[in-house]
Parts: sequence; C-alpha cells; structure tokens
Amino acid sequence: MVKPKRLLSLLLRIIVLGATLAAVIIMATSHEKGTFFALSYEAKYSDTPAFKFFVIANAIVTVYGFLVLFIPSESQLWGLVLALDLVLTMLLISSISAALAVAQVGKKGNSSAGWLPVCGQVTKYCNQVSGALVAGFIAIITYIILLLYSIYTFLNPLLGKNG
Amino acid sequence: MGLQNEEKLELGCSSSQPRSKKWVLLTVRVIAFLATATATLVMALNKETKTLVVATVGSTPIKLTLTAKFQHTPAFVFFVIANGMASFHNLLMIMVELFGQKLDYKGLRLAMIAILDMTTVALVSGGASAATFMAEVGKNGNSHARWNKICDKFETFCDRGGVAIIASSAGLILMLIISVMSITKLLNKPKSISS
Repeated sequence: MVKPKRLLSLLLRIIVLGATLAAVIIMATSHEKGTFFALSYEAKYSDTPAFKFFVIANAIVTVYGFLVLFIPSESQLWGLVLALDLVLTMLLISSISAALAVAQVGKKGNSSAGWLPVCGQVTKYCNQVSGALVAGFIAIITYIILLLYSIYTFLNPLLGKNG
Repeated sequence: MGLQNEEKLELGCSSSQPRSKKWVLLTVRVIAFLATATATLVMALNKETKTLVVATVGSTPIKLTLTAKFQHTPAFVFFVIANGMASFHNLLMIMVELFGQKLDYKGLRLAMIAILDMTTVALVSGGASAATFMAEVGKNGNSHARWNKICDKFETFCDRGGVAIIASSAGLILMLIISVMSITKLLNKPKSISS
C-alpha cells in the first residue's frame, strides 16, 4: 500500500537518479582525438578539474539516490535524508556551475587572457559535454522540487488540519 | 512558564524561541553579511594593469598595456552578482529580525525566510565554485587546451581574487548554518491555535 505522497517523492527520486547517472555516463565517455595545425591531441573530461568535480559530485548523488530508495517508509532516517538532500543540492549546484564556467571558456574562449576556444576542433567532445551539463541541470531542478516537496510533506502533519 | 508561552503565541510573534538562540542567529547573519560583502567588494575592485615594453624603435620604447579586470571573465561577474545579492539578502534578513518582528504574511513568515535562505545558499555556492575553478585554470593553465596560466604575470589580481573566493566560501559555510537553523525553526514551529 503506497501512499500518493510517497509515490510522488519516489518518482522524483527516480528521475534524479536517472538524470545524475546519465550526466556521469555522458561526461565520462566524452573522449575525442583531433588534430590542431598538425598537432594531434586528445580531449577527455579528465583534462579539466571542473569536469572531474562534476563527475564525482554526480556519482556521489547517484549512489546516495540509489541507497535512499531502499529506506522503509516510516523510518527515523528521513530527517537525516532531508538534511543530506540540502547539502547534496548545494554540491550539485556548485558542480554544474564550475563545469559551466569552464565549458563557457572552452566554447567562447577568453580574449583578454589569450585563451582560444577549443570547441571548433573537438566538436563531438563539446556536444557530449553540453549533453552531460543538460542532464545535470535537469537533475538539479528535479532535486530542488523534491527538496521543497519533502519540506512541505514534513510540515503538513505538524501544521494540523487548518487551511 | 505556560503563561509566558501563551502570551508569546497571542502576540502572533513567531519568535517564541529563547532569546539566546535569536541572538546567535543574528550574530551569524551579521558575520555572513560581512563575509559576502567583503567578497563582493574585493572582487569588484579587482583590477591590475601591467605595462610591458615590447620593442624599441630608435629611442622610443613601444609600450603595451595589459589590464586584468574581473569583468573579463563571466564566472567572476557571476561571482560578484551572487555575493552582492547574498549580502543584500543577509542585510534584509537582519533588518527584518531587528525591526520587523510583526511582519507576517498568512503565517508564512518562517517558510519564506527558510526558502529565501536556501536559494541564497544555492546562489552563493554556484558563484563560489565557478570562480574557484576559473581561478584554478588561471593559476595552472590547461596544457590540453593550450591555455596559458596568467597568475605569474598578474600576481596581485590573482591574490585578491583568492581572498575574495576564501571570504565567499566562509560566507557560504555560515549561510549553510543559517539555512539549517531557519529550517529547524520552521519545522519546530509551534502548532497554530485552531479555534
């Protein structure tokens, strides 16, 4: 017997799990070899610490999301889950912000620092990174909805039956 | 004790916490405000100009002036904006705590404070992390993308940027504490008196 509130919360958590897993996989498999004026080089996600941070953060949230699915409905752990949700939302937001910052320099370059954009040479890599960032973005938005919903359902029993 | 609680609830005052807790929250907010304001100011005034002599034609040296400004990097612009908004939010919350005890909107005061605190934490964490990783690229360069490091040429710029990022991170931790305290206040809210 699954209550509708628990069903919605479970559904949101599954969406987050899927999105973060997709982000990890897409970013980790982004790999391209190219030539740049007779120099051959390789572009991987591990070249940039920001992308490594993105993969690690999303991997942590994936594992956590998977484990949380197994917590029974009436356990005392849900308060801790709420607190961890807040911290992990912050982690996800900072990881996607960092990855976006570096990806933006990769796409547009930075003329004041003399950094050339690299997306022209490794288009497939750039597209995959963009895809991973989109998945990360979806994960964050769903997670925020989940967090607000968790606080709302936590509050409702306490507020009594008014309104 | 029971009479005191009823009195506080009757006033419609949502701060029926012991006074020490209220002052702790206020102090932490003030420190967080100072941290985010410092970060905003230090990064916003971050500018370094270097004049290099690139060639000498006859007897007149040709000079090249290079500037490093925070506006060149979108990540730093976002950093300044995020920390500026966080400082404004903290200031607003301090004012509301001190002077606006009766302000309420359909009993949603604590919920609104908690939600605003959470959004500010999200904003500041995004700004701080974007600036950190951009600063890392500036400091170490990126050999794979052929991006040269710039910190060896613009040391003061990098140092000030580092200070701003550290101040923002300290502000972020404090804001996380504040957010947790606001949510705890919200979840421990005394039940409304139903007729």
